[in-house]
Amino acid sequence: MLLHPAIISLVTGSLLVSGMLLYASYYGLKIIRKWNLLSGSEVQLGLERRTYLISTLMINAMAFQLLSLFLFIYTADRMAPLFVGAMCAAGTLKVNIWGYPTLLLKIINWLLAGIWLILNYTDNRGYDYPLIRKKYAALLFMAPLMLVETAAQAAYFLQMQPAVITSCCGTLFTSDAEGVTAGIVGLPKTPVEIAFYGGMFLTLAVGVIYCIKGKLGYPYALLSLFASVISAVALISFISLYFYELPTHHCPFCILQKEYGFVGYPLYFALLGGAVTGVGGAMIMPFRGRKSLAEVIPRIQRGLAVISVSCFALFSMIVVAGIALSNLRLR
Amino acid sequence: MRVIEKHRNILDFTLSSLARRKGKNLSLVFVYTFVVFLIASVTFFTHSLKTEAEVILRDAPEMMVQRLVAGRHDLIPMSYMDTIRQIRGVQSVTSRLWGYYFDPTNGANYTLLVKPEEHSTSGTILVGRGVARSVRSKQTGTIPFKTYDGSYLFLRIKEVFTAESELANADLILISEADFKRLFAYPDGYATDLVLHVRNANELPTIATKITHLLPDTRPILREEIVRTYDAVFSWRGGLVIVVLLGVVLAFFILAWEKATGLSAEERREIGILKGLGWETTDVLFMKFWEGAVISLSAFFLGILCAYGHVFFTSSMLFEPALKGWSVIYPDFRLTPVISAYQISTLFFLTVLPYTVATIVPAWRAATVDPDTVMRA
Amino acid sequence: MIEIKDVRKVFNWGRPNEFVAIDGVNLCLHSQSVTVLKGPSGSGKTTLLTLIACMARPTSGRITLMDREITSLPERFLTEIRRRTFGFMFQQFNLIKGLTALENVMLPAYPAGEKHAVLEKRAGELLGLFNLSEKSRAKVEWLSGGEAQRVAIARALINNPSIIIADEPTAHLDTKLSREFMEILLSLARDGKTILIASHDPIVYESDMVERVVEMRDGKIVGE
Ligand SMILES: Nc1ncnc2c1ncn2[C@@H]1O[C@H](COP(=O)(O)OP(=O)(O)OP(=O)(O)O)[C@@H](O)[C@H]1O
Ligand SMILES: [Mg+2]
Repeated sequence: MLLHPAIISLVTGSLLVSGMLLYASYYGLKIIRKWNLLSGSEVQLGLERRTYLISTLMINAMAFQLLSLFLFIYTADRMAPLFVGAMCAAGTLKVNIWGYPTLLLKIINWLLAGIWLILNYTDNRGYDYPLIRKKYAALLFMAPLMLVETAAQAAYFLQMQPAVITSCCGTLFTSDAEGVTAGIVGLPKTPVEIAFYGGMFLTLAVGVIYCIKGKLGYPYALLSLFASVISAVALISFISLYFYELPTHHCPFCILQKEYGFVGYPLYFALLGGAVTGVGGAMIMPFRGRKSLAEVIPRIQRGLAVISVSCFALFSMIVVAGIALSNLRLR
Repeated sequence: MRVIEKHRNILDFTLSSLARRKGKNLSLVFVYTFVVFLIASVTFFTHSLKTEAEVILRDAPEMMVQRLVAGRHDLIPMSYMDTIRQIRGVQSVTSRLWGYYFDPTNGANYTLLVKPEEHSTSGTILVGRGVARSVRSKQTGTIPFKTYDGSYLFLRIKEVFTAESELANADLILISEADFKRLFAYPDGYATDLVLHVRNANELPTIATKITHLLPDTRPILREEIVRTYDAVFSWRGGLVIVVLLGVVLAFFILAWEKATGLSAEERREIGILKGLGWETTDVLFMKFWEGAVISLSAFFLGILCAYGHVFFTSSMLFEPALKGWSVIYPDFRLTPVISAYQISTLFFLTVLPYTVATIVPAWRAATVDPDTVMRA
Repeated sequence: MIEIKDVRKVFNWGRPNEFVAIDGVNLCLHSQSVTVLKGPSGSGKTTLLTLIACMARPTSGRITLMDREITSLPERFLTEIRRRTFGFMFQQFNLIKGLTALENVMLPAYPAGEKHAVLEKRAGELLGLFNLSEKSRAKVEWLSGGEAQRVAIARALINNPSIIIADEPTAHLDTKLSREFMEILLSLARDGKTILIASHDPIVYESDMVERVVEMRDGKIVGE
């Protein structure tokens, strides 16, 4: 185990978030079992009061998760010199099998927390707590995932052995390595480009229609999910090349560095924001029929759509600007 | 925007309510600041030591070759240079002369280095700032060196050099080859160690293996290895100190918890009034959030500022001996200020996050005071 | 427009110290009326007021406010209704010490997210209405009893409520101030506000303006 200050803080942070989620699940379970809105009993009043605590815990958990995601990448990046051959986060994450799963779990848990909060927000706007059991059931599913993340992260840091030869981002993200990431790099560039530009255009177009007219809600939700995934793929496949101005450097982490003007942060924030609001908007779609939510949901969805369309637009603008200003020409 | 106005109003109220309870809040901020200060000092200190080491090593040769005799570093014959030069991929080999000198009058340990391309005039030396500081206090421009046979060699300070990394150069003295050899009766045809440059960094391990084959009594050391070792050692030390400090941190969070839980009767009454008047639980939670944010951020930045001063202006007087880890009799030096977003976010995680978690439940408890309490009392 | 049907409020339900504070109350209050709840101490007047004013939920029964069923609404909706519909005057003035009179008057409007300057102007005007303009920047702890009383009234009116709820408003006032207070209530009633007072002070329930006196005992209505 490396006794690195950042590692200590990441482990502490994850433990705290896990604790918060466990605590929230405990009361979530109580709410699922004992909730009865028609009763004015003190038990019910107490449970209603608990919902405030759980919301607060979840908002904090989500904020911490986001910070922890970037701190994790940053830490991996900083530790690269400790491992022979690792030159950035991409290499350090590969020193044992827990690196990438931890990263993935961090992203998933953040997205889930965000979607949960959208669900929660919607539920709070209905006068009869229409989603109360569903949302707490969802919480019960999220807590174990958070525990898995905490464990995976701990395993990653515990099993870390400095000076193990690892691949650096130069070899990991070139096509002769194996794995998903290599698969992405190996994808033929032109179809990815077409899928990205076409998908983005379609998403934005449908999104704008949705924002203005309130139509095409489901297609937009699906498209925004697709847009987030294809953007991540495109980022590794060809967009990164333009930012690095190197025809073979596909690393998704180095763009977070100062050398590239921290351009990775707005890109990833836009992507994460677009994904969570896009998917969140779709998640509440099935509940439009509820009487107490009939008026509320379209309003919330439109708000979410405006945010996610702006996020995707921002992402596209940065990408287009980056490619236009790049000195690299791929064809 | 209604939401923004609402938060402005709530923040307004929060600030005035914080000001109304100055005593309690100031004491909390004070302790909080101290905790941040401690942890920040540790991280800044270790981080800048690490950066210093990096700066030193940046210009270091990619590979160094030492000779070992009975497992100890010994003088290396110049003839070895020819053998090494023959290896494919080696661009150049040079010999270095350097050593340490203990100055009993100052109790300091100097590093003497021969660098013919920068200084070769006999009878004079170039010194680092640390050396200059200790000598200047005696108002003389010459340093007497006690030679191997007990006689004295007087060398005049020609120049004081400044450098990016003070740690590396504070105790450094550049001396001419002739003076160096006279001082230590250094045998001709020998060097302290050899340094080599290679054409392709990827070949370093191969070349190192070849050298150990051809010259079995030598030890090649790669720069990367040194960097790695330094990095690991400093991070580890920093981490260790933080673990030790976790006790302090824990004590603080218990205090924070208690402060937050032990809501005064006055405060409880106020929240009761607010809720009676039409503030919702969420509004009170927002108020508590702003309260926490104001306290945390002021303590956080104050603590960081103090730590910055402590580490970079007072040379970490509080725990220098514990952390520095090399020669205690070292001329005093100042670290070059380095501070990064990375350190700040680590610190944030170690201090603000636990504080926030510790205050969530108490804040919620305060916010769920029944609105009808205002009608009774 | 306020309809109370079979309302019960039980404290500590199911525990040995269970206590029925309101026991099957039926009551209908009309718009723009002045009603007084009267009864001995502990008869449940305050408790009934908190139920009507959306500060607490009844254990059973239904309360309808302007055709809206409020009994099972979550707290955040109740609070919103309370803020918009009700103005409160308490037994104690319940002003927040350390704040100025003006800030105290503005407090109930903060969560609504009105622009600070607009709000400040409105609060200033209200204070002017009660001859408190010069005191608006004074800390409330320096105000006299009568002034504090008027600040509390101004605070009750800041959100322009249609119903004023007052719980023992004259308990801490001398006869002269009590009469003054009733004058102010009278003018509010003339402005078309609905007024509901809990009190056992004869100055209140014998006042000419009071249209209806409801008598309570042991959590039940025993007469009008
Ligand atoms: N939170 C509570 N828990 C238990 N009992 C309560 C609670 N609140 C009020 N009570 C009881 O309910 C009864 C009615 O109280 P309430 O305050 O409504 O009386 P009241 O008519 O306003 O009396 P007063 O004229 O003295 O103000 C009292 O006996 C009181 O002790
Ligand atoms: Mg009472």
